[in-house]
Amino acid sequence: MRLYFATDIHGSDVCWRKFLNSGKHYEADVIILGGDMTGKALVPVVDDGGGRWHATLLENRHELAGLEEVEPFEQMVRRRGYYPFRTTPDEMQELQADDERTTTLFHDLMLKRVEEWIALADERLEGQDLRCFVCPGNDDQFEVDEVVANAKNVELAEGRVVDIDGFQLASTGWANITPWNTFREEEEPQLAERIERVASQVTADPQHTIFSLHCPPFGSGLDEAPELDENMRLKHGGRAPVPVGSKAVREAIERYQPTLALHGHIHECRGNARLGKTLCINPGSSYEQGELLGAVVDLDGGKKVKRFVLTSG
Amino acid sequence: MATVAGEPGRMEEKGLFARTATGLVRGWSVWDGFVYAAFSINLVTLGLYAFSFAPFIPEKGLLWAVVLSGAYLVFQAITYSSLIAAMPRAGGDYIWISRVLGGGIGFVLAAAGWWFILWHWVPIYANILNIEVFGPISAIIGWERGISFWAEPWGIFVASVLVAAGASVLVALGLRTYARFQKICFYGGLVGLAVMFVLLLVHSKSDFISAYNDRAPDLYGSPTYETTLAAGQYDVGNVGSFAFTGIFLLIPFMLFFNLWSNWGATLYGEVRGASDFRNNIKAMGGALLATTAVAAIFLLLFAKTFGWDFYNGANNAYWGAAEGGPGFWPYPGMMAAFFFDNAVLQFLVIGLLSLWFFGWMGSVFLSSTRVVFATAFDRVLPEWAAKVGRNGVPTGALALMLVPAIPIAAFYAWDGDGFRTWTLNATLVIAITFLGSAVSAAIFPWRRPEIYNASPIAKYRVAGIPLITVAATLFSAILLFSLWQWWRDDRYFVNDPDSFIYLGCMYLLAIGIYFGSRLWRKRQGIDMGMVQRQIPAE
Repeated sequence: MRLYFATDIHGSDVCWRKFLNSGKHYEADVIILGGDMTGKALVPVVDDGGGRWHATLLENRHELAGLEEVEPFEQMVRRRGYYPFRTTPDEMQELQADDERTTTLFHDLMLKRVEEWIALADERLEGQDLRCFVCPGNDDQFEVDEVVANAKNVELAEGRVVDIDGFQLASTGWANITPWNTFREEEEPQLAERIERVASQVTADPQHTIFSLHCPPFGSGLDEAPELDENMRLKHGGRAPVPVGSKAVREAIERYQPTLALHGHIHECRGNARLGKTLCINPGSSYEQGELLGAVVDLDGGKKVKRFVLTSG
Repeated sequence: MATVAGEPGRMEEKGLFARTATGLVRGWSVWDGFVYAAFSINLVTLGLYAFSFAPFIPEKGLLWAVVLSGAYLVFQAITYSSLIAAMPRAGGDYIWISRVLGGGIGFVLAAAGWWFILWHWVPIYANILNIEVFGPISAIIGWERGISFWAEPWGIFVASVLVAAGASVLVALGLRTYARFQKICFYGGLVGLAVMFVLLLVHSKSDFISAYNDRAPDLYGSPTYETTLAAGQYDVGNVGSFAFTGIFLLIPFMLFFNLWSNWGATLYGEVRGASDFRNNIKAMGGALLATTAVAAIFLLLFAKTFGWDFYNGANNAYWGAAEGGPGFWPYPGMMAAFFFDNAVLQFLVIGLLSLWFFGWMGSVFLSSTRVVFATAFDRVLPEWAAKVGRNGVPTGALALMLVPAIPIAAFYAWDGDGFRTWTLNATLVIAITFLGSAVSAAIFPWRRPEIYNASPIAKYRVAGIPLITVAATLFSAILLFSLWQWWRDDRYFVNDPDSFIYLGCMYLLAIGIYFGSRLWRKRQGIDMGMVQRQIPAE
């Protein structure tokens, strides 16, 4: 069986489209998105009247003449995983003064994009001999699950064990505590219980078991992120990475020894590592550039995964 | 679509609403980036060593070569800052070249420039350790045998092993510990430079001649100032000599010192926008310009206090092994320490300045291990090359650096068939790799327009041409000029046939590994072409 795994596309339209095409491209039987589908920022495109608009992306102000310039700009924003929305100067003042309204707008736009993506997936994957799994990650709001669960050609993997071609895939997108207080994070003991609840449902032998756990195992080399100070600034110019993965994830892998463990969460920590007999992969993420980083893995039920490639597509 | 920099002036309008999501952090400190870049363009270890080569280009112009090449290399800082802003987290030259020019070219240039050639830097580091630290300390503590020992093959070999072991320990301790260690060394090293500055500033040339004639014969058995001056005499001109030919010809030597500002570049974190791009330029370019300015000040002080004719003459006599030469590498730190008639104070000066070496030492393996990791993750190297022990030690990558470095250090120490001169390719090979990145950067807006146009650097243009292209082209020019000089001019000691054959072998080894790996992976059923093949988005 060949599977393709990608993760942390954070709202990037182009990455989602590439993900949907990855099955054909890599001749995979299964494609898995490991979490964090939703983006991190809203970009207002402000109507100045008279067909003039302006917006700021990456601290560069763009003056836009007419919708023929607005639309490509919005596509560029979507490509980076952000959410463009058209607004007026008055509405901007209101939004800036009202956090609750901004949060609601954020949620609405995030969900809307997930709905669009799922609709696109249902259309694109129709008739393909391919299974597609999505397991929302710690940055994804809970409503995402419902949207995915209602899809026709995409299967929700969160908290489940699913059978795929003689293998079993056990998944969760929850992570240990982060400095950002995200949707799906909890203390290590609770995370351990959550993983145990899923892993204990596995009936396959370890050679036929796959874990898809969004958070990488602690100290595996797949979990190194720049150290932050109390003001959330990168210490030592960002040159001082520290392990931030989950000990619960590591313990679960060491205990169950699945043949393959798929992770994400730490974008800059692309790589692979072995924990006992388990091949752990974090393909990393370059969603801002529209690059879909992933992993193609061939499984034959042998003692160890021997064939895999980390891709940049 | 027109783009204008900056926030609008008429109202406090947010350009972006960010939610609390993993990885969104506040910017890093420019000062931190500056510190690490300053360590890479290391005035004490690399600069003073490079300046001592000036007599090989008797056309004169050292001061201006330092100043002008330093100023010009701001284009390098812009090039690398642009690449980082456009493709953050990518991991440096290997990934940038791979993504723009292809995986094979990326591997060959990165393997030769960031892996194989770094084996050869180990004895070069060791040589600097000997002439700036072990040799002077041996002299200060009165260990006469030590002075000659560190200049002998066994001394160089032992120092090489110490450098390799020290670098391995620093890498094994992890980046966080190394970053902290480097910062301590930076501040301590600054104190050392400040002491040296004051000593050179407050003393006159006659004070120095007197101090030199008191201390150098005593510590090293050196002849007098006047004898060494006569022994190394050539037409040095004066410190401000603006000799066009000399300045240009000295630039390839100066690259040994100032080509490395990009080593301090931050590759982590989520790039928020144009300010990060500018911050990287400030950190790298700032460190480059500040180090250049400090270097210029010290050269002026050398001229004032040592005498420009003596400083260059002593270097000339040392490298030429002339009768009446100083008998030790004329290390300006040591010569400044001569002003103290007290071994403890001399030791303190050398000790503080030595922090520039110890904080820099880990860099000989650090970047190499990253390249080894990246190529292993691309399945070019076997999986064990990226293996990390439970304590975080990159055992495979370290072995790939450490094991070959030791026999190479032995060849260097015993100098079989002029091996030592071949290692002068050390800068040349990395320059070729940087040229690969510069070419990648120059064509990046056309090769990867979708990434370029959505990056924070897309708005920066010069006469309608992308800034990254302009900067990378100008950076390429200095690299091409230096490569041409290294190729044609004997005075850089790299253009003999043996040297080029050796150099070619390194590239052949990289090509062999790449194609061997592709064949091997093919037999395993792995298509390596998959690694970089783009997935259609539509």
